[in-house]
Amino acid sequence: MLSGVSILCFAASYAVALILEVSRLLFRSGIRGAVMLGFAAAGLLAHTAYLYYEAVHTTGAPLSSERDWCMVAAWVLAVVYLYLLCYHPRNSFGLFLLPLVLGLIAAGRFLAESEPFAREPASKVWGMLHGSSIVLAAVAVLVGFAAGMMYFGQAWRLKHKLPPGRGLRLPSLEWLERANSRAIVVSVIMLSMGVASGVILNVIRTDQSGSRLPWSDPLVFSTGLMLAWLLLSLLLGAVYKPARAGRKVAYLTVVSFLFLVLTLGVMLFLTQHGGRGTGAAEKGDWSLLCAASEGPFRQEAPVPFFRSVDLEG
Amino acid sequence: MKLQVVGCSHRGTSITVREKLAFGPQQAEAALDHWRRVFPRVEAVLLSTCNRVEVYSATEEENLPTHEQVSGFLARFHGVDPDEVTPHLYHSVGEEGVKHLFTVTCSLDSMVVGEPQILNQVKQAYQTATQHDATGPLLHSAFQAALMVARRVAAETAIHQRRVSIPSVAVADFAQQIFERFDNKHTVVIGAGEMAEETLRYLRDEGARHITVVNRHVERADQLAAEWNGRAVGWEQLTEALATADLVISTTGASEPIVTLEHFGRIERSRQPRPLFILDLAVPRDFEPAIGQRPDVYLYSIDDLQAACQRNRRDRDRELPAAMRIIEQETGRFMAEWYHRATKPLIQQLRQGWEKPKEEELRRLLNKLPELDDRAKEEIRRAFDRLVNKLLHPPLESLRDESRHGIPRTLLDALAKLFRLKD
Repeated sequence: MLSGVSILCFAASYAVALILEVSRLLFRSGIRGAVMLGFAAAGLLAHTAYLYYEAVHTTGAPLSSERDWCMVAAWVLAVVYLYLLCYHPRNSFGLFLLPLVLGLIAAGRFLAESEPFAREPASKVWGMLHGSSIVLAAVAVLVGFAAGMMYFGQAWRLKHKLPPGRGLRLPSLEWLERANSRAIVVSVIMLSMGVASGVILNVIRTDQSGSRLPWSDPLVFSTGLMLAWLLLSLLLGAVYKPARAGRKVAYLTVVSFLFLVLTLGVMLFLTQHGGRGTGAAEKGDWSLLCAASEGPFRQEAPVPFFRSVDLEG
Repeated sequence: MKLQVVGCSHRGTSITVREKLAFGPQQAEAALDHWRRVFPRVEAVLLSTCNRVEVYSATEEENLPTHEQVSGFLARFHGVDPDEVTPHLYHSVGEEGVKHLFTVTCSLDSMVVGEPQILNQVKQAYQTATQHDATGPLLHSAFQAALMVARRVAAETAIHQRRVSIPSVAVADFAQQIFERFDNKHTVVIGAGEMAEETLRYLRDEGARHITVVNRHVERADQLAAEWNGRAVGWEQLTEALATADLVISTTGASEPIVTLEHFGRIERSRQPRPLFILDLAVPRDFEPAIGQRPDVYLYSIDDLQAACQRNRRDRDRELPAAMRIIEQETGRFMAEWYHRATKPLIQQLRQGWEKPKEEELRRLLNKLPELDDRAKEEIRRAFDRLVNKLLHPPLESLRDESRHGIPRTLLDALAKLFRLKD
């Protein structure tokens, strides 16, 4: 029965929820909240069923391909949305979060590679830690970005002395500022864990296959850049108090989002299209992938930092 | 079965008359007890607010107390000459009365349309009447429907969301959009205007606890601080107070701004970086408008707030037709149920009339077929039940359809005659 659940099922449910969120701007309705909750919950249920089916029957693990990675990130973001919808039903979180959910699903469906990552033996624990912490870091950055955009919208309205919009209700600046700060902290912790576990994973794999870390990989570079930025944001907040408050923290989260977009772009276009996307690689054959790229490590079998590995090894 | 309302409100009745008829909580309870003695078979709810005094009454009997009887009751209870007040009291019966109740409960008949207090006042009046056994099934259904309609209007229109008084707009539309909570915020009140007091009341309702009063006259500051459970400081400490403030309410009578941009620059340097909400209710203004351009400063003057109030009023007016449509719909629905309720005794008789022959025939048949097992007997019983229900369905549906426009007396009479039912 689960095999009948397609990406379209949950994407359509989220899209309907988004349309209902947009309709808040146009008219009021007594039952819209319940309908919206119903569609979001149905979407999440279908999404969960899809991921479960993929994990059990197709790829062997929920984070074993770029597509899975995007779908899991979208799933976590959808959970965040549903939570906020339940606890803050009057605020228009969906207007900011659902486009990100749909964007991730679209990226997973149309841009990302569905072939599993490297199949060389690797530590299951480190692989799982690497994949899940990178997903959570990305979700934290996306949530921070949504909160940052809401902050700018709310601050603009308050500066222009306008009453709250008819359908567009946003949380208070204090709430959004707190969400922004927490998003930065969570994304730094998760990304640090992801990068560290990626390094360990590569060390393990280097010992097993004699290969070396591909430091020149654009994905490694952009991920490192994003981590450096997030660490800098955190450091800035610790030593310079104004960076922790007001619109400054919102700017930090928006810039973090730009780094995330850069990293995702590298993952989807440069690494994939410049490597496996050329058609040179067989499923999970990293030596062929590296042969298609420049650099001294082209014959090696690396695990890029911004990827998880097949947990079945 | 009838329902009516007799009363007076801010629409067309002066306060001189309204105050003569107004009830305090204890008086309302005594009046309800008295009502039960005077009109023992008539249900009643007494609604008394600053803007209205109304008696809702209903009975299963043919006759309700007349307009004069109800106004006489009100007048005599207050020791007023009935002739003095009766001409000022309106009287709406049946559908009009129900519609009036819904309109009042939804705050569409209030002096400030959409004000939220009336809903609680209606609830309170209904609860008091229920506690004193003055209500019955008719007013239960009417008031519960009214509360449901109010919820629907609140959900489907923005009529209650638009505040129209300056202090409420300042707090709900602006302060609450900046701060999530107020119990950990520092509020500084400069001067002591009436508007500041009113705004502070709203803020205290939202949890504001740390209040500092700054006034040129220390005695006045002490007095206000004691009243609001805050702290009084002298004028020379204004800069220090502003450096730690999250919210500022300023209402001095100064002819020049008391905080210039330059002065604020010095304050800003000593402040922890965080949003500052400034409510400048003074005319001329106490804060230089350029301060509002500083990052994380949200400065509102009395004109800004008045403009927001105007916008909200216009928004409320735009919501009125939608709210009225809901009331029309719900009144129609309620009246259909109400009229249909009047047909229930006859429906009960009709059912009982069919039930008796059904049971007799069923018993006769089962006696003639002793070989039937329990399952077969049960099937036959169910078949008889289905037959009776199917035969009754058309007349019952006709009754329901006719009830949409009023009590279907002709149809009830015809059914009563056809099936030889009692009254």
